[in-house]
Amino acid sequence: MTGLLAQGALLVSVVVVALGVVVTPVAIRTGRREWLQLSYGAVYTNFLLVSIATGAMLVALVTHDFSVSYVAAVGSRSTPLLFTIISLWGALEGSILFWAWVLALYAAAVVWLHQRRPGNLVPYAAMTLLAVSAFFAILLVGPANPFLPVSPVPADGPGPNTLLQNHILMAVHPPLLYLGYVGMSVPFAFAAGAIFSGEAATNDWAILSRRWMLGSWAFLSAAIIAGMWWSYEVLGWGGYWAWDPVENASFLPWLTATAYLHSVMVQERRNMLRLWTLNLCVATFVLTILGTFLTRSGILSSVHAFTTGTIGYYFLGFIALVLLATLVLVAGNSDKIRTAGTLGGAASRETVFLLNNLFLTAVMLTVLVGTLYPLVAEAVRGVKVSVGEPFFNRMAVPAMVALVFLMGVGPALPWGSTSWADARKRLMPGVIGAVLLGAIALVAGARAPWAIIAFAFVGYAVVGNLREYWIAMRARHAAHGENYVRALAGVMSANPRRYGGYVAHVGILIVTLGIAASATWRTEREATLVPGERLTVSGHTVRLKDVWGREEPQRSVIGATLEVLGADSSVIGTITPRMNYYRVSDQPVPTPDVRSSLKGDLYANLMAFEQSGRNATVKVIVEPLVPWIWFGGGVVVLGAAIGMFQRGRRLAASAR
Amino acid sequence: MSRRTIATLAALGAALCLAGPARAQDRAAQGTAPAATSAPASAPTAAGTSNSAANSAANSAADSALDERTAAVARTLRCPVCQGESIQASPSELAQQMRTLVKDRLRAGESPDQVRAYFVSKYGEWILLEPSMTGLNKLLYAFPVLLVIGGLAFVAMLVRRWTGTAASPPPSPPAP
Repeated sequence: MTGLLAQGALLVSVVVVALGVVVTPVAIRTGRREWLQLSYGAVYTNFLLVSIATGAMLVALVTHDFSVSYVAAVGSRSTPLLFTIISLWGALEGSILFWAWVLALYAAAVVWLHQRRPGNLVPYAAMTLLAVSAFFAILLVGPANPFLPVSPVPADGPGPNTLLQNHILMAVHPPLLYLGYVGMSVPFAFAAGAIFSGEAATNDWAILSRRWMLGSWAFLSAAIIAGMWWSYEVLGWGGYWAWDPVENASFLPWLTATAYLHSVMVQERRNMLRLWTLNLCVATFVLTILGTFLTRSGILSSVHAFTTGTIGYYFLGFIALVLLATLVLVAGNSDKIRTAGTLGGAASRETVFLLNNLFLTAVMLTVLVGTLYPLVAEAVRGVKVSVGEPFFNRMAVPAMVALVFLMGVGPALPWGSTSWADARKRLMPGVIGAVLLGAIALVAGARAPWAIIAFAFVGYAVVGNLREYWIAMRARHAAHGENYVRALAGVMSANPRRYGGYVAHVGILIVTLGIAASATWRTEREATLVPGERLTVSGHTVRLKDVWGREEPQRSVIGATLEVLGADSSVIGTITPRMNYYRVSDQPVPTPDVRSSLKGDLYANLMAFEQSGRNATVKVIVEPLVPWIWFGGGVVVLGAAIGMFQRGRRLAASAR
Repeated sequence: MSRRTIATLAALGAALCLAGPARAQDRAAQGTAPAATSAPASAPTAAGTSNSAANSAANSAADSALDERTAAVARTLRCPVCQGESIQASPSELAQQMRTLVKDRLRAGESPDQVRAYFVSKYGEWILLEPSMTGLNKLLYAFPVLLVIGGLAFVAMLVRRWTGTAASPPPSPPAP
């Protein structure tokens, strides 16, 4: 019943969405602008219909309605309620449904917020979002239909993928990722709308889409960090980033979105890079779809490759269509969009932004080509090859390290131009930070050149960004006699976009520090211990207390309790890595345990155990500064959130 | 006295090599850090007569030097039964066996490249997480380098052109 209702809703939405797409150009061409209300109505109706379908799926999941194919595939009576709910995005069809719902939500929000804006930009943007919605609606009534009837109705199901029901972060990472990924359709819709409406020859559309991109960027940043955290907490290898195709897929649009957020400033200030900024919007959107295609089609092996089926061809066709359409549109209008570039001087922030865009693009293309290369090699040479972590560390990380340096250079240089002597004066203070952090890394035993350079650059950029606050705060202190705390608040609220950006910079630098430190000083040891036996890993000692077992409804849990010993051999805590055996799978799911402090984590994973409990093989890893990565991710999001406040509104609010 | 110093130095040298970070380990595994491998050879002769503490330190240092070399090679080999993980990262049984095999071969005196070649002969090129720099793969490695060099040249050209056509004179003209 719920299945039928949902299928009906989705079928109707295909029709509604298609009508909405068609009516927009007719309304504008014939001058019947009142017809645009039909298009906006289609956006709202689509949101309503997809909400009904998504709600029906949640009801079917929670009530264990195994007559619905998706529930029969991922549901199980023994799965806890929370994991039953979040299994909505735990497999292919459900995740496409959730995607469609988030897209419909964004489209409704765009129309709601911007429909009173004069001109044809918003109608065409809404049309573009409807067209993208049409693609997902077709997937949902076609190859990814989650509501197919099942007969005979099974009494119980296998439950979600065990890896995906083992940690609470599965309730956090996917929604954030969708909010980020799908949100990037909005700047694309504005870019397309700008071309259709002829507004691409102005900067207004880019200013309008900036906040949508910034918000999506913040969601995607948070999602990437949450994904790293999940990988760290669940997969048991003690790492957080493996350059797996799906990680790369999430990273690619993040890179182009970051490039956009910088190039759009140059566009606003100097009325240049218009075509480039527009192309970055298009590239970001295409990369989100490409990423979904790569990971969901099963063409590249990945944790996220749910199934192999015909859905890959749909994605491929859609990507080809988007690329072809934008290529024709952009090429046909490039003369109108393009503006002559002018720079005040080479020593300017604009130049740094050009370099920033260059390196971000270079990292993106390197990661993209590396990810796709196995397909190329197989097609050309007929040989299967792998492109994994060592390749990306060697070929992509240097450009990323260069970006860290530029993060210190950009904020220090003024817009427009300055003399080289002044530039030198502005760029010198960061050197103190570079020398300091580089020396600390060297003394602490870092020997790899790239690691030392990374630390030095982080030091350089931290000083470069913090100095901007300091200069602005000192100026307010001198001018208004404000104390420094008030001055900081004043600086932030007077120009949230700029100083929020610096907060995001600092967040990225904290993340970088965590990554560089854990890559440099991570130490691990594996040993088979009998109860009472100790294992010491770089100054941290644990002692095996016991090995135990516990039955839970959906799984059996085997755990090893390790006591963490202080300097005087007293017990200062325990750490209990476990292995979870789900009823539905032969493969146990490792469940490491982590003891965190500011200095880093003590990470333990249970590798093997004797049935009788006589011994346990554990891997203990000392992971310096890893919690800084999660914390830095929070700072990045905070910075983006500050940047969402625009100048005018903030000033009006603070004027009371 | 001098023997003692040698033993201590050997232990210290080995320990220092261990302290090296991930990429330094890579290099050690590629055979550019002979200090790590020479430590066990010099330590026993020196310590047999004088300092047994340094001996055991050097021995365990040599052991963990081998562990480090093993880890460096293991990081470059793909776990055949996992999703793109290296055999160093994977907790699976097969990965564990492969790590032992890597260690045995390194201990027997094979170079990291020889060990890798052995796995390639068994599993094919696919087993390498970093493709070898041969044939078509060279393009894969050349691409990012050319991209950055070409990009830098392009940006330099743009800046030169755009500052040249600037209509308004900059407040202070840049020195050459």
